[in-house]
Amino acid sequence: MMNREHTRLKRFFQDFYLVFIMVFLYAPILIMMGLSFNSSKSRTQWGGFTLQWYVEMFQDAAIMDALYNTLMIAFISALAACIIGTAAAMGINSMKRLPKTVVMGVNNIPMLNSDIVTGISLMLAFIAFGISLGFQTILLAHITFNVPYVILSVMPKLKQTDKSTYEAAMDLGAGPVQAFFKVVFPDIMPGVLSGFLLAFTMSLDDFIITHFTRGAGINTLSTLIYSEVRRGIKPSMYALSSIIFVTVLALLLITNFSPDRSGKDRAAAGLEAAGAGAGNGKRRSNPEAFRKGLLVAAAFAIVVSVSFTTYKHFTSSGSNQLYVYNWGEYIDESVIDEFEEETGIEVVYDLFETNEEMYPVIEAGAVQYDVVCPSDYMIQKMAENGLLAEIDFDNIPNISQIDPIYMERSKSFDPENKYSVPYTWGTVGILYNTKRIQELGVPAPTKWSDLWDPRYKGEILMQDSVRDAFMVAQKMLGYSMNTTDPEELAEARDLLIQQKPLVQAYVVDQVRDKMIGGEAAVGVIYSGEMLYIQEESAGADFTLEYVVPEEGTNIWIDSWVIPANARNKENAEKWIDFLCRPDIAKKNFDYITYSTPNKGAYDMLDDDLKNNKALFPDVDQMTNSEVYKYLGDEADSLYNEMWKEVKSY
Amino acid sequence: MEQPLIDLVDISKSYDGTAVLDELNLSVKENTFVTLLGPSGCGKTTTLRIIGGFEKPDKGRVVFDGQDITSLPPNKRQLNTVFQKYALFTHMTIAENIAFGLKIKNKPKTYIDDKIRYALKLVNLDGYENRSVTSLSGGQQQRIAIARAIVNEPRLLLLDEPLGALDLKLRQDMQYELIRLKNELGITFIYVTHDQEEALTMSDTIVVMNQGYIQQMGTPEQIYNEPENAFVADFIGESNIVPGIMIQDELVEIFGARFACVDKGFGNNTPVDVVIRPEDVELVRPEEGTLTGVCTHLIFKGVHYEMEVTTPDGFEWLVHSTGMCPVGQQVGIRVDPFNIQIMNKPASEDEEAVGVNE
Repeated sequence: MMNREHTRLKRFFQDFYLVFIMVFLYAPILIMMGLSFNSSKSRTQWGGFTLQWYVEMFQDAAIMDALYNTLMIAFISALAACIIGTAAAMGINSMKRLPKTVVMGVNNIPMLNSDIVTGISLMLAFIAFGISLGFQTILLAHITFNVPYVILSVMPKLKQTDKSTYEAAMDLGAGPVQAFFKVVFPDIMPGVLSGFLLAFTMSLDDFIITHFTRGAGINTLSTLIYSEVRRGIKPSMYALSSIIFVTVLALLLITNFSPDRSGKDRAAAGLEAAGAGAGNGKRRSNPEAFRKGLLVAAAFAIVVSVSFTTYKHFTSSGSNQLYVYNWGEYIDESVIDEFEEETGIEVVYDLFETNEEMYPVIEAGAVQYDVVCPSDYMIQKMAENGLLAEIDFDNIPNISQIDPIYMERSKSFDPENKYSVPYTWGTVGILYNTKRIQELGVPAPTKWSDLWDPRYKGEILMQDSVRDAFMVAQKMLGYSMNTTDPEELAEARDLLIQQKPLVQAYVVDQVRDKMIGGEAAVGVIYSGEMLYIQEESAGADFTLEYVVPEEGTNIWIDSWVIPANARNKENAEKWIDFLCRPDIAKKNFDYITYSTPNKGAYDMLDDDLKNNKALFPDVDQMTNSEVYKYLGDEADSLYNEMWKEVKSY
Repeated sequence: MEQPLIDLVDISKSYDGTAVLDELNLSVKENTFVTLLGPSGCGKTTTLRIIGGFEKPDKGRVVFDGQDITSLPPNKRQLNTVFQKYALFTHMTIAENIAFGLKIKNKPKTYIDDKIRYALKLVNLDGYENRSVTSLSGGQQQRIAIARAIVNEPRLLLLDEPLGALDLKLRQDMQYELIRLKNELGITFIYVTHDQEEALTMSDTIVVMNQGYIQQMGTPEQIYNEPENAFVADFIGESNIVPGIMIQDELVEIFGARFACVDKGFGNNTPVDVVIRPEDVELVRPEEGTLTGVCTHLIFKGVHYEMEVTTPDGFEWLVHSTGMCPVGQQVGIRVDPFNIQIMNKPASEDEEAVGVNE
């Protein structure tokens, strides 16, 4: 009896352990897949089942383009890697022991090497050889990292294959090529096939290497998703990610359930039909002819799509072009079409996610962008490092539409208004939950120092970025947020440390989501998201209000600039002028919902938007507010050090 | 004189500086069954592969029916090979395997079908067309390999230890099968094996090889009964090889006792090697023997007894006999003069390996 009890218990723990591991591994993915069917945009609340995000995904041109690129690159690179890898494996297999061991070791290095090293080295190699980054460089990079996987999966099959079958085929009159395709290849076919699927999956999956080797206007799914992160990932990305996961899962299942006999036969027969069509006129049966037809059709489809892709990417290196480098979701896409239509200039549109990511790309000059949209302090840094070209304002008559006050503000990072034209702007302020503060018995916050009120304990969300966090303390202390004085910084640091026990979390995007979800009373937030936030929280039983603190705040400005190495400067100026046109600026405002510096566009807005103080505070009265400046490397590291002390306190 | 079908002229081949074949010469006449016999590493397989075109000799020529084919690739040679491990194409059916060579040559479908049926009948596997290769036993696979080769109607069939992987009974059956095939088809066979019994059973001519040299070439009877040196004698069957002195023609002295023999021309008082097969050693009563010894070992082998008789000088004679002699008993040894084979003593180790046909 005891024994049986013991066995049952043992069995229970075994099962429990297995289930536990499975949950641990797959719960995150299941949550994401669940959210892809959530009709609410919130990440925490279930708003009912919907397929809306899937529909949206399939209607999104950018996603579909990226999907096409991803599949194309995965397919072509896997195919090329299969050919190269199989040939290499055969060569390696016939080597002597020592060189074979060495070569196999060398083959393993790219797989073990960290992707970032591979990515950077490939990028540098492409630049060194003067290959301009684009579709073709991603493809070359993917072929490069896929070859070792194919070799690895073909090698064991080759080792199993009896070398004498090849000789037997030769003996029976087959030439070397015929002997390979009729006898050796069918034998190693499962290895080649699984190598292909492995390569396909690896390519589909890759982000880092693609990120470094891609050029303007080319996105794969992974780079597209990454560039969306800034505004918060759209639920249609959950839908897309779910589909990718299911696809990869299916591919892996196919790979692991190795082809059965009939599959092998089919593959062999197919090859016979394709490979040695040379003279083998007498077909035995119709199915074989059918297979042959299928194979020819497939080959034809491949050739057509490959040449189409190549065509598409090579013709796009024509002369009348404009390479635009912008934040993700930072333009109404129809504006691009309109621009192309009106000017006849072809726009190659590319995205970045942070200023810090954009900077090295421009600095390296691997892709020569014509017009870029960085933020204030980054514009200063680029100008100081000679990366920007002066804008010829004679070519931008619509500059008159930009409210002079923003040109004035821009002088803090572009002192002579030579390099930049403001595109969007905003403030940083406090977002508060009216109902929650009532419950807490606290008056509505009006200044930064209110965030030090102990009654807010556990209810405060702070920005998790060094300059934004310090800005709050510096402004409260009455210092400039661009100070480099170590003593002022130390004071700000101590103040932040003092506040720390009250803070619920230091976060970035989640300030928005948590506030919408009613999880905190107050949060430091960028004003740009206000329209979205108010829209999302419309159904909630509380209201969220935004206030610009009395002590002053950060006014941020994103402006268009032209890099010094731009090839189509005139087109870039046309682009900037076009975006300054009031109707276009309004269109973009409607889409982006960040405050616009464009007078004409502002005038066209509805009154309730015009009066929305969150979106359009009275800038002329915000005399104690500033724009971020680039402080230099030394000050940067000082800030980072102090911030580390705060975070680790 | 009849032109040989295949002629190897001064063939040398070495791998990584190690000579495998050294100036080998070999002629094979049409419609014979020639066996290359020797221990592993003797160069027999290399010889076969050079004939098949899978290896290129470093030096020398391969002449096929009067034509130099030394640099012709395997697929252009009028011969076929049956490989040691069969080398069947596992992704094809049996019919597809057999049809492989014919399809390459673009033969008409009806011709191919006839040939498949004929070949399967020939190897006693009718009706196996659509079976998969892996469903067959080793012996059956080997027969398919043979069928696949002979449908191409080669003039020469090369067989590389084709029966090596089979068990004893099957091997014996296949030996008869091969002889039958050779007689029915009239194809020349070159057969490589290290199994002397196989060689003796099947061959018209046996070529005994060692260390890249041909040691002796002849009919099975010649090779067995009149080995030309100690290596051949030792390799073919079991032998007592004893040192002796040729006193004069037809008289040899072994361990002090004189034996009458039939060999001549070795000179007087010349040291020689004497080969006596175990079945040729007659055990008699001590007083009747040319030599006397004590039986030291006895095993029953079925057909005969295997015994060891130690003579006073310490030599252990291997004896096969249907009669039995208990261990410890004194016996006499006698040998019929016809069963004594005299060989020249090699002057050195090296000479032992040198070909005798030069």
